[in-house]
Amino acid sequence: MILALETSCDDTCAAVVTPAGELRANVISSQGIHDRYGGVVPEVASRHHLELLDAAVDDALARAGIGLGDVTLVAATRGPGLVGALLVGLSHAKALAAARGLPFAAVDHLQGHVAANFLEPGALQPPFLCLLASGGHTLLVRVDDQRSHTVLGATRDDAAGEAFDKGARLLGLPYPGGPARERLAREGDPGAFAFPTARGVEGLDFSFAGLKTSLLYRVRDLTGQGTPSAVTHGATAPPLARDVAADLAASYQHAIVESLAHRCERALEQTGLRRLAMGGGVAANGPLRERIGALDAEVTVPPRELCTDNAAMIAAAARFTEPLPFPAYLGLDAYASGQRTPRGPV
Amino acid sequence: MSGAILGFDCATPATAVALLPGGEDEPLRARHEPAPGERPGHASRLLTFCAELLGRAGLGFSDLERIAVGTGPGTFTGLRIAVATARALAHASRTPLAGVPTLDALAEPVPGPAVLAILDARRGEAFAAGYLEGVRTLPATALDPDALARLAAREPWLAVGDGALRFRARLEEAGATVPPDDATHHHLDAAAVCRLGRTIPAGPPEAVLPDYLRLPDAELTRRVRA
Ligand SMILES: [Zn+2]
Repeated sequence: MILALETSCDDTCAAVVTPAGELRANVISSQGIHDRYGGVVPEVASRHHLELLDAAVDDALARAGIGLGDVTLVAATRGPGLVGALLVGLSHAKALAAARGLPFAAVDHLQGHVAANFLEPGALQPPFLCLLASGGHTLLVRVDDQRSHTVLGATRDDAAGEAFDKGARLLGLPYPGGPARERLAREGDPGAFAFPTARGVEGLDFSFAGLKTSLLYRVRDLTGQGTPSAVTHGATAPPLARDVAADLAASYQHAIVESLAHRCERALEQTGLRRLAMGGGVAANGPLRERIGALDAEVTVPPRELCTDNAAMIAAAARFTEPLPFPAYLGLDAYASGQRTPRGPV
Repeated sequence: MSGAILGFDCATPATAVALLPGGEDEPLRARHEPAPGERPGHASRLLTFCAELLGRAGLGFSDLERIAVGTGPGTFTGLRIAVATARALAHASRTPLAGVPTLDALAEPVPGPAVLAILDARRGEAFAAGYLEGVRTLPATALDPDALARLAAREPWLAVGDGALRFRARLEEAGATVPPDDATHHHLDAAAVCRLGRTIPAGPPEAVLPDYLRLPDAELTRRVRA
């Protein structure tokens, strides 16, 4: 049995997957504490990981109906992510393995998102394209085998989820704005306002900064007041009429969806691949799933709890990672940025 | 059961590990002290040292009678690496775990009737605890230099730790004695973590948590605004 831990951001996750790739337990302990700070605070996240992790591991083992003695491989996310947070899970996982002389697999978080597609039954067979979009990352990768991926395009500024969050804040919605913004967007007309989709930008990279600025100016024009800082801090909701706010939310969402879908379309054309998978929290967005689903490709999206950060995907990736025998992994450190994933040509 | 106890502490930039074998045997020690400007090596050294010492003693993790871990105060990330590691080792090898206050371990080997254990808490502050005749009479507290000087004036303290070096001038002015910079008493000895860990009641691993002594900055800001 593979036991995996994932603590790269603010979800404390533990999972059990069989050596054949079947999911036995997927425990996600959402900290639910960061809303009051208006975003994830690394120190707060790290403290909570330490408080929640032992229980998450016990819970995963119990739900899988196994004990630590049944574990044959331990895995954990090594990066990219918040280093202080990663180190809680990585230290714990290395020590669990060391105490029992077990092998250990250090997994790249982004490869984990890709590997969510390798869980059985119904694992996706490479080659395929994968769009990873969340609050922390936005990239389009090519997957030729189960061990690695090649980055075809990445965001040059904000992640797609970040763009969604910032938009919600500009519209005066409380953090996290996701659910309220989606509800609002459903009431509005996606064609009411024209926001930039960076369609003109060549290649497969993404950019959301211009879109965010464009929304900021629209809000200022429409409310006729409010300095950018007053609006961005969201201390007071701008006095926008509900229907105008709904149109803005719908149009803004439309622009993000278009910009993501357009790069996917372009990548399918350029690579000649016919299969496209999605991952990351943004993959749960209804209009995005609809728009991508209409592309001329075979589109698969894992269930929501496998799209957002989870440890099952880390266990899934561990199956295809060369495990390090005891004691080769004892000195492993975490890494913050994603430079370990090489960027390659289409 | 060998009666062996493994103890470690990552509350300071150093990674300090010791193995106290059963019986009269001398403790085995491993330590990494980052050079000036070098980052602490907690994540990469801690488990390596643990395995190395056990190997030297011919023991495995499951042979330990007890594990002891320094719970701070100290560097937040270091505390978490040590506690997360200790809890997992204890859990996976079914070994009782004892949390040892880091300042207690710093003061433990220091002779003298009045000992002040002080760590550099950064941001111009110190974490300090006071001990009279070996008994902690002042619990660990975060102090600014003025408060530390007032405390130092209360007893003829022998002040040790990297915080005693950092605030040497203020402490000596207030009447405390600070050993020379290269005195071993300024460094936490993980063997003291082992010795104290033996005397502290050990409980379930998840009951051991770091003693941060400070709220996260974001929480302080939020409270000021609220
Ligand atoms: Zn993620």
